[in-house]
Amino acid sequence: MPSPIALNPPSPAPSIFKKKKSLGQLSSVAAAASYFSAVHEADARARSHDTSPTSTPPLSLSSSVTGSSEDTVLHESDDNCNGLTYPLTPPTSEQVFNTVHTEFGHCANENYRCISQHNPEIPVTEHEIEEPPYYILITTYISYLVLIVFGHIRDFFGKRFAKQYFTHLMPYDGYAPLNSDFDSFYTRRLKRRMDDCFSHPVTGVAGRTILVYDRYSEDCNYTQVYSGTKTRALNISSYNYLGFAQARGGCADAVEESIKRYGISTCGTRLEGGSNELHVTAEALVARFVGQEDSLISSMGFATNSTFIPALVGKGSLVISDELNHASIRVGVRTSGAQVRMFKHNDMDSLESLLREVISQGQPKSHRPWKKILLLVEGLYSMEGSLVNLPKIIELKKKYKFYLFVDEAHSIGALGPHGRGVCDYFNVPPRSVDVLMGTFTKSFGAAGGYIAGPKSLIDALRVRGHTGMYAEAMSPPVLTQVIASMASIMGVASPPLPTKATLTLSPSSSMSTLRSSEGEVHPGMAPASAIPSWVSLPSFLSDGSEARMRIRRLAFNSRYLHAGLKKLGFITYGHPFSPIVPLLIYNPGKMATFARMMRARQTPIVVVVVAYPATPLVTSRVRFCVSASHTKDDIDTILEACDELGDALDLKHGYGERWPFEEIIKRSVELVNNV
Amino acid sequence: MSDTSSSTLEPLLTFLAYSFSKLESTFYKVPGSAVVARYVKSSHQNDPGRTVLELILVIFAIRTLLQSRTREDKQAKNFIEFSEKEVDELVDEWTPDALVQPLSEWEQRDFSSVPIITGPNGPKPTLQSTGKTVLNLASFNFVGLAGSEHIKEKAIETLRKYGLGSCGPPGFYGTIDVHLDLERAIAKFLGAESSILYSQGFSTISSVIPAFCKRGDIVVADRSVNFAIQKGIQISRSTVRWYDHNDLQSLEDALISVEKERKNRKGPLTRRFIVTEGIFERDGEMVDLPKLIELKLKYKYRLILDESISFGTVGRTGRGLTELYNVPASQIDMLVGSVSNGLCSSGGFCAGTSFVTEHQRINGTSFVFSASMPALLATSASEAISYLQNTPSVLVTLQENIRVIRAVLERTEGITLLGHRASPIIHFCLRSMPQTLTVTPPTPDHDAEERTLQDIVDDALENGVFITRGKHLRNQEMIDSRPTIRIAATAALSKKDVEKAAGIVKASIVRVLGKRR
Repeated sequence: MPSPIALNPPSPAPSIFKKKKSLGQLSSVAAAASYFSAVHEADARARSHDTSPTSTPPLSLSSSVTGSSEDTVLHESDDNCNGLTYPLTPPTSEQVFNTVHTEFGHCANENYRCISQHNPEIPVTEHEIEEPPYYILITTYISYLVLIVFGHIRDFFGKRFAKQYFTHLMPYDGYAPLNSDFDSFYTRRLKRRMDDCFSHPVTGVAGRTILVYDRYSEDCNYTQVYSGTKTRALNISSYNYLGFAQARGGCADAVEESIKRYGISTCGTRLEGGSNELHVTAEALVARFVGQEDSLISSMGFATNSTFIPALVGKGSLVISDELNHASIRVGVRTSGAQVRMFKHNDMDSLESLLREVISQGQPKSHRPWKKILLLVEGLYSMEGSLVNLPKIIELKKKYKFYLFVDEAHSIGALGPHGRGVCDYFNVPPRSVDVLMGTFTKSFGAAGGYIAGPKSLIDALRVRGHTGMYAEAMSPPVLTQVIASMASIMGVASPPLPTKATLTLSPSSSMSTLRSSEGEVHPGMAPASAIPSWVSLPSFLSDGSEARMRIRRLAFNSRYLHAGLKKLGFITYGHPFSPIVPLLIYNPGKMATFARMMRARQTPIVVVVVAYPATPLVTSRVRFCVSASHTKDDIDTILEACDELGDALDLKHGYGERWPFEEIIKRSVELVNNV
Repeated sequence: MSDTSSSTLEPLLTFLAYSFSKLESTFYKVPGSAVVARYVKSSHQNDPGRTVLELILVIFAIRTLLQSRTREDKQAKNFIEFSEKEVDELVDEWTPDALVQPLSEWEQRDFSSVPIITGPNGPKPTLQSTGKTVLNLASFNFVGLAGSEHIKEKAIETLRKYGLGSCGPPGFYGTIDVHLDLERAIAKFLGAESSILYSQGFSTISSVIPAFCKRGDIVVADRSVNFAIQKGIQISRSTVRWYDHNDLQSLEDALISVEKERKNRKGPLTRRFIVTEGIFERDGEMVDLPKLIELKLKYKYRLILDESISFGTVGRTGRGLTELYNVPASQIDMLVGSVSNGLCSSGGFCAGTSFVTEHQRINGTSFVFSASMPALLATSASEAISYLQNTPSVLVTLQENIRVIRAVLERTEGITLLGHRASPIIHFCLRSMPQTLTVTPPTPDHDAEERTLQDIVDDALENGVFITRGKHLRNQEMIDSRPTIRIAATAALSKKDVEKAAGIVKASIVRVLGKRR
């Protein structure tokens, strides 16, 4: 009988056994006692939570934060605040969990799974944008008006009577002000009022839960005072779609091994002495993962767009860009010198009429035909949660002959039955897209970005993009995280091929391994030769079963939160399968209150609130980022919190049928399958 | 006849009168309507024309409000009307260029000659192509932090506590305590008030410049600043004045002429910035910092100094130019440096007053919109700083090694050694070229020169020394500078190894240049 502490034999680090054992014993053998004491303590703590954050943590096994790795699983002084540290229902002896509950929640119920796939029989439709009642819009405008008027009054008198606060806004000693008071008005007078909701310092793993530093402000958010305590909160904010943000497990073990073997840095740019074999391996794996011929890797996601787009387009080219594209794309386009035209977000009619116009008119003034037209879209939009209408774009592409660049920063890993992004979701062959770009920050728990496409294109970008010559190459631990997490999503083909002793020789010959594989079906497994021999993943990772479970859990959680919020009566945006779930709040005052009240709950929840300028002025929102690491109980907790806050703050303005909270959690599976 | 017509009209008229009175009564029921009515009545009494005029104004206002904000291109003068059929034909006829031009023969050769390292990078890495171990004078491992066991341990410890990725931008729970620790460590190390951490060195300054320099501001910059600065200035859309490379006299002239222009135009006071590098990435020249600061204070400019190369490599403990020249870091408004070069980790920083750094936390594009740095890279950098503070002897070793390399290459025929003698990157170019870096017409044959230099690089590699050309995107850079070979000195190699390596480079130069003659 496998106990919950059972670990997989191929796990390379024996020390892990011990750690897992200690956790396992705690949660099964001593489950009842510790569990009840934890609940009791949690209750007590929650009652005193707002007033005295310095309560002694009861379950602390070791308070040393940077101590030896022996007891780091439980290194955080923590109590089981409503199931954040340990599951509310202790696992039965049949259930085997390979993860730490605070990083990746334990959820064994196979009903709470769903497959993220587009149904080809249903045409892709635009998401209906629900409108709030007029009084909400009017009060929102009035709120901003009051904020602006008060801000200007304070500026007016402040500049005259409290000059010390305005030194950087006023000319002094012949220097112009460092920033103009007009430009910084929004930041100073509107954002500062809710600065406590942003840039909250955290510690530990940004997994299912996160430890946030407690802080308060005595001077209206000019400065924050840290009380020195930390609170564990449910994390529905980090981009951790597949839950690979983990300090334990196969990927972290591989990263540790890579640090021992390769060190921290590759000491240079890709073209000037910083190219490592790991780069070549990772690039080949990424290409195989997304189903393109070749790929390149850049050490920063933002820079992937901002430094490679200029290598694709230039003067005489036209860029057609969705109006809600990310800032990195805009920076890239601006540095490229190409002309830009925008089309209405995700509106295919607007896109087609724009295409007809620009192709027929040609370049402005000269009317010469454009050298090329590049369409820049995102797979999943980070503020809206909306999905690109890829099938329609591919159709338009055939007719209008533009090149297509899809930024899959959020969708790669998170969408599709195999986690291969929007192409996988819509079952569109990946090679029908010219350039596939994505990042490793979100689904892979790493950092940086990639661009994938035909080999000729990628080689040209390697040489002509800014990153290859001027920017530092990606460091080995990050590369290893990419390789390990990606290989576990793909699954590693079990019979290791006769070892190709010399994997790759030079950048040009490195692609030989890829070419041989061109005949393979796209969302297939990775051959064992595609990952370094020293990366030994535990069997549940290398056979891909764990990742399949993660992908299906993510799809379930996303749909459940979407549907649950809808049934509670909220206005949400976005696609049901999108792990990004924006909940519309509108009034700026409610936005800050919402974030604060979520954080002050018995089970603290950290949320991201976004407002102008990231969104239009009136549609302030809270943005949930669902992860596979959340359990169904976690989503319930969030729904319950939203339910209560929604009543308190008058946020429920959606149309459609409403269900009480209890019914939603009871009929969750039905809800998810019938959205 | 008239009687009948009036009788048919009668019900209509009564209906009109009824509906009018009904309308009137409902109008008066609306709160505040009496005021409007009184206003209209009184204004009409005085001047009927005014009522008409006001009515027109109201209609105009409504029309303006309803009009779409963005004017369509269709209204532009240049717009040509086409029928749908004509548009279809034009769409069919249009054939776009290829997305990218294939690599030229030279690009192909250049690209395929990039060596790939197997195993860890360091002073003596193993190459994948030959399996041989080479002496590394190409990678940025100035103080020899690559492969430090202590840093590795620290990184693993961090990994086990924080995982790898930060999974979010700094604003949204991506600010980890180790980032704040590193920011404080850098600020304390430099003696600045505060600092801000970016997750890539290259993207740091190209984000810092547009955060402060806006349209209409004046930027005075060195003509041969690195590519990242050029991009930053381009994005900022400020008015740029270039001065001659590392020529502070030319800088002063530019500052005087800007001031003169402003006085002539009587324009408003705008922000003014001097942007330059501490040690130039392009040729290893070093700026005369005390003189620069004197000028900046005299003409009331703010200084953005890129210390990507000099931070962690010069000065007694590696604090960079400020330590070398004994200038307080507070004199430099925005001190930008690289965590990846000097500290052998990844990322970049900008140090300055808290106003400067806090402003970037909202306005630095690549700070705001990018995920923060992985925690273990931040702790590695913090360790690197404490290593530098505790072991200043590595910087002495580095300087000695630089001296050894320069001494060997100075005695080599056919090349010109560029740069400052303390610079950890040593550039040299072929001697036949003019002495200034900026090109004077007629343009010399840079392609041929690059090929020769690449031959030297390849030859050196064959003989066991890894060096590289100073690579630039020639058609994208602002100036077409002389092709050079770049040697990166390191403290990790012993004096004997460095002498040997420099000797091999020298031999390669002699061999390749000998063949040319």
